Amino acid sequence: MNAAVGLGAVFLAFLSAVAGVAVLTTGLVRNRPTLLRTGRVYVWLVLGGAVVATLAMQRALLTHDFSMRYVAEHNARATPTLYSITGMWSALEGSILLWGLVLAGYLAVAVRHFRHRAADPLVGWATVTGLLVAVFFFGLMLGPANPFREVAGAIPVDGRGPNPLLQNHPLVAFHPPMLYLGYVGFTIPFAFAIAALITGRVGEGWLVETRRWTLFAWGFLTAGIGLGAWWSYEVLGWGGFWAWDPVENVSFLPWLTGTAFIHSVMVQERRAMLRVWNLSLLVATFSLTILGTFITRSGVLTSVHAFSESAIGPLLLGFFAVAVAVSIGLIGWRGDRLRSPGAIDSPVSREGAFLANNVAFAAFAFVVLLGTVFPLLAEALGEDKISVGRPYFDRMTMPIALALLFLMAVAPALPWRKASGDLLHRRLLWPAWAGTAALVACVAFGLRGLATLAAFGLGAFAAAAAVRQLVLATRRQGWRGLIGRTNGGMVVHLGVVVIAVAFAAAQSYGHRGEFRLSPGQSAVLAGHRITYLGVEDKQYANRNAVEAMVRVDDDGVFRPALNRFPFAREAIGTPSVRVGGFEDVYLTMISAPRTADGEAVIAVVVQPLVVWLWIGGGLMAVGTLMAALPGRRRRPTEPASATVPAADDPPEPVAVEAAV
Amino acid sequence: MTKRWLPWSAMALLVVGSLAIAGADGGGERTVAGRVDAIAAEVRCPTCEGLSVAESESAASRTIRDDIRRRVEAGESDGEIRAYLVSRFGKDILLRPEATGVSGLVWALPVVVGVFALAGLVVAFRRSRARTAVELSDDDRVLVEQARRGR
Repeated sequence: MNAAVGLGAVFLAFLSAVAGVAVLTTGLVRNRPTLLRTGRVYVWLVLGGAVVATLAMQRALLTHDFSMRYVAEHNARATPTLYSITGMWSALEGSILLWGLVLAGYLAVAVRHFRHRAADPLVGWATVTGLLVAVFFFGLMLGPANPFREVAGAIPVDGRGPNPLLQNHPLVAFHPPMLYLGYVGFTIPFAFAIAALITGRVGEGWLVETRRWTLFAWGFLTAGIGLGAWWSYEVLGWGGFWAWDPVENVSFLPWLTGTAFIHSVMVQERRAMLRVWNLSLLVATFSLTILGTFITRSGVLTSVHAFSESAIGPLLLGFFAVAVAVSIGLIGWRGDRLRSPGAIDSPVSREGAFLANNVAFAAFAFVVLLGTVFPLLAEALGEDKISVGRPYFDRMTMPIALALLFLMAVAPALPWRKASGDLLHRRLLWPAWAGTAALVACVAFGLRGLATLAAFGLGAFAAAAAVRQLVLATRRQGWRGLIGRTNGGMVVHLGVVVIAVAFAAAQSYGHRGEFRLSPGQSAVLAGHRITYLGVEDKQYANRNAVEAMVRVDDDGVFRPALNRFPFAREAIGTPSVRVGGFEDVYLTMISAPRTADGEAVIAVVVQPLVVWLWIGGGLMAVGTLMAALPGRRRRPTEPASATVPAADDPPEPVAVEAAV
Repeated sequence: MTKRWLPWSAMALLVVGSLAIAGADGGGERTVAGRVDAIAAEVRCPTCEGLSVAESESAASRTIRDDIRRRVEAGESDGEIRAYLVSRFGKDILLRPEATGVSGLVWALPVVVGVFALAGLVVAFRRSRARTAVELSDDDRVLVEQARRGR
């Protein structure tokens, strides 16, 4: 029943998307506004199909309908309700269904948002583009990634349950959906970019239309990546949060190009420059989300995320190639209209800083992409199998990250067009002193490591620059000063600085140790006394656990555990963390004692500032929200960029917000 | 004018000074444990994905870590230990690709691309500055005046 309803709904969504493309394209080519107005009804049908299919899948998972292969392989009678629900994105086919649902949702919201402009060719072509993406994903579900396939032979009595790592922590309910909201969200600005190219309206209009969509997609992607790091820390048991694993890298790639875009887009809105570059960044961001799915799901690169591998790899790669080729073709075709009327007067200006920011982000993305796919390239070139891991990524990205911190410190103080030395002096002096003071204090306190110290100094510089902007803005406008793109952006910058400092500290000043202890014995690591008290056996619905009781200092007992899941060969550890504002003590049980008073092996990781990674992530989310709210409107007659007076100071850029 | 540069020079002095102190302090005798950690951080755990031997607690990682420790204590150099690991597990046991041969490309390409990108940026700045300013007609000026009076 569930399978039949689900597959029928997917079929409905697929057909509606195809019909929508056909009707809208006809309306656009033949110039029939009535067709354009009726065409968008198909978007709602796609959404209806996606919702029904999702409900059917959820019903099958919650009622343990093992006649469906997906349920039999990724659910069991003992699976707790939460992990039955999240089972939908525990493997490939269900993830594609989630992708389809999110895409249909975004398209429906877009169609509703632009309902009064349905006859506008720009909106029409954007809808066609979005529906074409939907055709592809719902097509996948009808073909190789069918989530509603039935089991061959007899219906099993019980299923295998989700991968143990995916039924171990509630974060699994948030990380993948957030990530998908981010990934898929970039479809809307991409669709408008394609529509702008097709209609030839490549001015700044489409950018202003989609600015907030981009921001939300970026915010969700940021949150998704942050939650992924948190999940890795809480579940995987190695004490880290970012491993430069291929799948982490491919989720980071669209974030890098997307971040470059939301900065450089301001240059285009303000000065009508960088048109081709901005289009390319959007195309890159969208195609990298597809490439990311390809790499996650095809198994070409082994990774901790290779929860499922399947034959849809070539199809995704083909779709990626088509998206890139069509976009490049369109940009080439409209080349003459994309020439920008403006020019950059001085590299020491806001637009110059944005350009430098973009070069840095592009370089960052290039390094991450190259390092991720290089093992494949090397093999293709006849080299032996090689690995590219953390030492490479740390070494190559560190200078770029430091350059970005420096830009974050300087750029907000720069005016558009041209900066005078006097102005720089006044705006940068005390942020620079803050950075210097932080550096001197860190060295005085005995911290070592040049790159880490540079990160701390530049971080303080950047934070002070952001705080200066926020103080000026709130002094001028009260609490309203915190809202709007520029100042919300400064809050995001503060979050980035917090993350950068925490990341550098945790990477540089961590301690690891492994202790074999009998009940009552203690060990000391980095000033913390770890006392092993004994073990307890626990039975849960979906697993059996051996929990060690470990006292950290005199602060209470923590319980790192080893879990045995049915169908899993090895025991899966669950770490236990004493979270602190200054440092975390992270405990894992490596091996359980054979007898109740035997020896257990406990691994301990002490890392400073880890909790600030999550706080910084929260700050970035709040900042993104504040940036998405409309700030003070700029009068349309106000000059977009002031000329530089010889002696006078041009107005501070803080209060000026582009009209939305 | 001269006064303006005073605080900046003081800052530069402080920054260079403290970095020099930190840099000079960083060296010193390398301990056995420090060397083992440094080598282990660049060796891939053969049984888990994406982690180094230093981070992973799997049985295979612990065996390799103990092996590295024995060899460090026996007086082998870092290079000798790495060469031994490669001979035993293959090239892909090392997480840091070699700087020679095909795998040298992964180090060189970003540098080459970066240099070209910076050069392109400089050229772009030069060219856009060299471009002559747009000629304003009197009609344009009148339009701007009208718009400004309208605010």
